[in-house]
Amino acid sequence: MKTLRAVITNLVKWAYLLFFFAIAVLPLIWLILTSFKTEAEFNAYPLALPAVWQIQNYINAVSVAKMHVLFMNSVIIATTATLLNIMVTSLASFVVSREEFPFRQSLSNVIVAGVLMPIVAFMVPYLAIIRNLGLYDTRAALILTYAAINIPISFFLIKSFMVNIPKDLEDAAIIDGCSFLQRYTKVVLPLSRSGLVTAGTLTFIWSWNEFIYALLLTSSSSVRTIQLGISFFTTQFRSDYPSMYAAVVLAMIPSIIVYVFFHDKIISGLTAGAVKG
Amino acid sequence: MLVKNKNWKWIIIFMIPITAMYTAFFIYPFGFVFFSSLNSWNGISSMEFVGFENYSKLLQASTLQISARNNIIWSLSLGFLQIGLATIIAFILARRPRFWKTLRTVYFVPKVISGVAIAMLWKAVYNAEYGALNAVLTLITGQEWSHNWLGAFNTALPAIIAQEVMYIGYFMIIILAGVMSIPTSYYEAAEIDGASVWQQETLITLPVVWGIIVTAMTLAMAYGLRHFEATFLMTGGGPGHSTSTLALMMYDKIGARKLGEASTIGTILVVVGFFVIVTLNKTLGSKSLTGEDQ
Repeated sequence: MKTLRAVITNLVKWAYLLFFFAIAVLPLIWLILTSFKTEAEFNAYPLALPAVWQIQNYINAVSVAKMHVLFMNSVIIATTATLLNIMVTSLASFVVSREEFPFRQSLSNVIVAGVLMPIVAFMVPYLAIIRNLGLYDTRAALILTYAAINIPISFFLIKSFMVNIPKDLEDAAIIDGCSFLQRYTKVVLPLSRSGLVTAGTLTFIWSWNEFIYALLLTSSSSVRTIQLGISFFTTQFRSDYPSMYAAVVLAMIPSIIVYVFFHDKIISGLTAGAVKG
Repeated sequence: MLVKNKNWKWIIIFMIPITAMYTAFFIYPFGFVFFSSLNSWNGISSMEFVGFENYSKLLQASTLQISARNNIIWSLSLGFLQIGLATIIAFILARRPRFWKTLRTVYFVPKVISGVAIAMLWKAVYNAEYGALNAVLTLITGQEWSHNWLGAFNTALPAIIAQEVMYIGYFMIIILAGVMSIPTSYYEAAEIDGASVWQQETLITLPVVWGIIVTAMTLAMAYGLRHFEATFLMTGGGPGHSTSTLALMMYDKIGARKLGEASTIGTILVVVGFFVIVTLNKTLGSKSLTGEDQ
């Protein structure tokens, strides 16, 4: 009797786990399969495997949507935003975790509390700031905005790393004649590499995937990011769905590659941020 | 004090960039969004002070009522349904069944793919003519399905919410981390005392990670209030305004050059957001979300 119950419990458990597994992967696999089909094939049998695996859709995607331009814009914006964000937050994390000064704790708390801010509510202010800076419809607008929005999370992650670096190491460095600047560049920064990579990965993926502010702060197609680009595909590709899906698949690849290489960092970064609180 | 620290010049230099950027993108917008909500403003000419006129006008608009209702539905679905589903998965995975690490990694995949790509994907799944959902239903039931999931009034909102609720990866990972930090000795002791798995989960795991679950709920409900992307891309708020949300309405106001009214909605989002965070933490009793040092 006990074993029967155990078997049933086990079945229910695995059905539950597999259901969410299927939800996470099956639609994706279907999209990828579709991107290798001809249009006629897709219309006739939406669920079937492609009869001939053909890459024509991908060629169409690149030429119709100018994927290379969109791709380059996204690479430039996400990379620069990440570097700027890490520079700014690591400088601040360094002094907040290694030095004593007035309002240190309150400053740090205010910055971290920024994660709770509903950023989407700031559409009007951000538009006004970017226009006043003369940055509307430039890559710099998105670089600055993305770097700033990710300050609270990156600051929190990097600071948690720097706080745990033994003070002795720095004292030794000071005796060896290290200046303030060298303590940052030669001692603390290399030792917090893991925290920098975690914060950088999260900022990069967030920036790569961002849509709302790309939509609001840019208008011309020459500075458009890949996410904004694919949101216009419905009109560009008319009813050539397989080519459109090929373009969507191309847009997903970089985030998936980053995830494959850094998933441990991403998972640890997210859990550190939430569980500590 | 600062003057006592001989490195005070360096400290100031190191803090300038973050202070400038944080002020510009977090503190100033806070004041700006409230101030501009009291003005009539088209974004080009100067603002004209109108007091709370934008508020009284908007609160009577039927679109705002629909949007607010939809945001509440979003918040409740994410806060209770999604967190409930995610908690169950986390509790199961914490017992380290076979493939648990692979499952954890895979559940999170949709969360690293962009919201735009996910929205395009589900738009394709829900498509009336070529969509996978109708094709699968046709296959299972043997009848021809051609329902327009995103175009019909009764299924559009549930369809958008469903695809988001079922991506449990993010909250599952947060809750799982909490469960896995519970010492195994607790369970070993319970086992010796003859506690069943169900008793172990409800009497040990649940109380210990309750604070984290409440945090996750709070975040999920806050996301429900801010919801924009999937709806904007999948239905644009339609059919009619039936799937509109506050953020979507705010975006439309910006497009219509009514920036004062857009800011009014922005202010409502900020205020309601804080209200939700504070009350949930008070009533369900969680440790503070952020703020303390360690």
